[in-house]
Amino acid sequence: MRRAAAFVGLVVFAWLLWDTGADPVRLVQGLPWILDFVRRTIPPDPRVLPAALAAALTTVEIALLGTAVAAALALPLGFLSARNIAPGAVFYPARVWLNFFRSVDTLVYALVFVAAVGLGPFPGVLAVIAYTTTSLAKLYSEAIEGIEPGPVDAVRATGATRLQIVRYGVLPQVLPLFLSYVLYRLETNIRAATVLGFVGAGGIGFYLQTYLRMIDYPAASTVLLVTVAMVMVVDGISSRLRDRLV
Amino acid sequence: MELMIEVAGLSVVLPPDTIALHGIDLTVHAGEFVVVLGRSGAGKTTFLRSINRLIEPTAGVVRVAGRVVTGASATELRHIRRQIGMIFQQFNLVRRASVLDNVLAGRLGYVPSLPSLVGHFPASERKLALECLAQVGLAHLADRRADTLSGGEQQRVAIARALAQAPAVILADEPTASLDPQLTSSIMDILKAINAERGLTLVVSQHQLETALAYATRIIGFRRGRIAFDGPPQALTPAVIDAIYGDGEAG
Repeated sequence: MRRAAAFVGLVVFAWLLWDTGADPVRLVQGLPWILDFVRRTIPPDPRVLPAALAAALTTVEIALLGTAVAAALALPLGFLSARNIAPGAVFYPARVWLNFFRSVDTLVYALVFVAAVGLGPFPGVLAVIAYTTTSLAKLYSEAIEGIEPGPVDAVRATGATRLQIVRYGVLPQVLPLFLSYVLYRLETNIRAATVLGFVGAGGIGFYLQTYLRMIDYPAASTVLLVTVAMVMVVDGISSRLRDRLV
Repeated sequence: MELMIEVAGLSVVLPPDTIALHGIDLTVHAGEFVVVLGRSGAGKTTFLRSINRLIEPTAGVVRVAGRVVTGASATELRHIRRQIGMIFQQFNLVRRASVLDNVLAGRLGYVPSLPSLVGHFPASERKLALECLAQVGLAHLADRRADTLSGGEQQRVAIARALAQAPAVILADEPTASLDPQLTSSIMDILKAINAERGLTLVVSQHQLETALAYATRIIGFRRGRIAFDGPPQALTPAVIDAIYGDGEAG
C-alpha cells in the first residue's frame, strides 16, 4: 500500500516536471542573466523616490479601506455561515456561496472592476473588498463554531432574544479573534495590493511594471525597495497589535 | 401553597437514542429548597435543562409559575425564561466581559432590545445589577474582567446574574462541583439565603449527600432517568441511598 503510494507519487512528480518544462539546465543557463539584471538595478534611482512613496501610500490606502469595509461586511456573512448559529437552510447556501467567491483571487476581481469602473485605486479597493469579505467570513464562521457553548446557554436561559444571545454570549468570545484575523488579512492585502497596479487598479504596482517595461532598472529597484519597506512596516505594526489581542 | 413547577410525563430522548428521562411526574411548591441527587448520568442535568427548555423535552408537560413551558412560542418561552434563573457547574460567565456586564446579561429579557444590542443599559438597570452583585458580596469587583476572579467568586457572579432576572425559580446544576470543597458551603449558604429571604424556589442538583442533607427541605433522587426517591431529608435512609446510588440492575 505504502509502496504503491510512493510509486504513484513519483510518477506524478516526474510528469509534473515534464509537463511544466522544468529544466535545471535552463535555470543554470539563466543565472548570468539574473546576475546582470541585479547589477543593472544598482544603484537605485533616487529621483523616482517621491513618486514611489506616494504610490506606496496609495497601496496602503487601498489595503486599509478594502480590509476595513470587508471586515464589517463579513460580520453578518460569518454568522450566517456558522453551523452553530444559522439554521441549516441558511448555513448550507451561505457556505457554498462563500467557497465559490473565495476561490477567485483579488487580482482577478481587479480585472473585472477595472473593466467596470475604470482605472485607478477605486477598482483596487473593490477587488480587495470582494476577496477579503468572503475570506474573512470563512474565518469568522470558524471562530464562531469554536466558541464555548456554556456562556451562550447562560445568556439564552435569561430570556434573551436570538440577537441578544449573539451579542452577549457569542460576540465577546470571538471579537478578539476577529480583530486578529482582520489584521492578518490586512498584512496579506498589502502584498496583494502591490500587484493590483499591474492591471491598472492603482498603487505602487503600476510604477514597478512601468519601469520594468521601460527597462529602467535603477528606477524599478527604487520602487521595489519602497515596496519591501512598506510591507515590512505594515507587517511590524500589525503583528505587534495582534500579539496584544491574543 | 402555590404550585411553582409542575412536571407531568416528562420524557427526554437525547440523540441518537439515549432515554435520559422516563416520564417524570412531580410538583414543586413555591419556596421549596429541592436538592436533586443521583449518580452522573442519572438524568439530573437533563431534568433541570428541560424545565427551561435548554433541552427540548421529547414528551410531557412542564409548567412554571402556572405558565406552560412545553409548546410555548419563542416569545412566550423568553418571557417564561426571565422568571427562571439558572446557575451552571462551569459558571458560564463570558470570560472577557466585565463582572457587571455579566450580571447585566440577566436583564436582557427585560430591557429594550435595540439599545441592548449596542451595549446600552438604562442607569436603573445598572443600579439593579450592582445591587445583585452587592447581595453576593462582590460589588467592589464590578469593573473587573470576569476571568480574573477566582472560581468561587465567578459562581457568585453567576448567582448575581440569575438574581438580576428577578426570577421566581432558580435552577442550579451542580453549582459547587467545580469548586474546592471548602467553598461549597459559601455558595450553598448564599442559595439558602436567597431561598429564605426572597422566598425563591430552588432546585439544586448535588452529588454530595452531606450537602444535600444540610440544605434541602426536600430531596429528589434520580436513578436511570426515573425518580427513585422523593421526600424530606429525614426520610433518606441507607436503604433509600442505596436505591439511588447502588449498583443493582433495575432501580
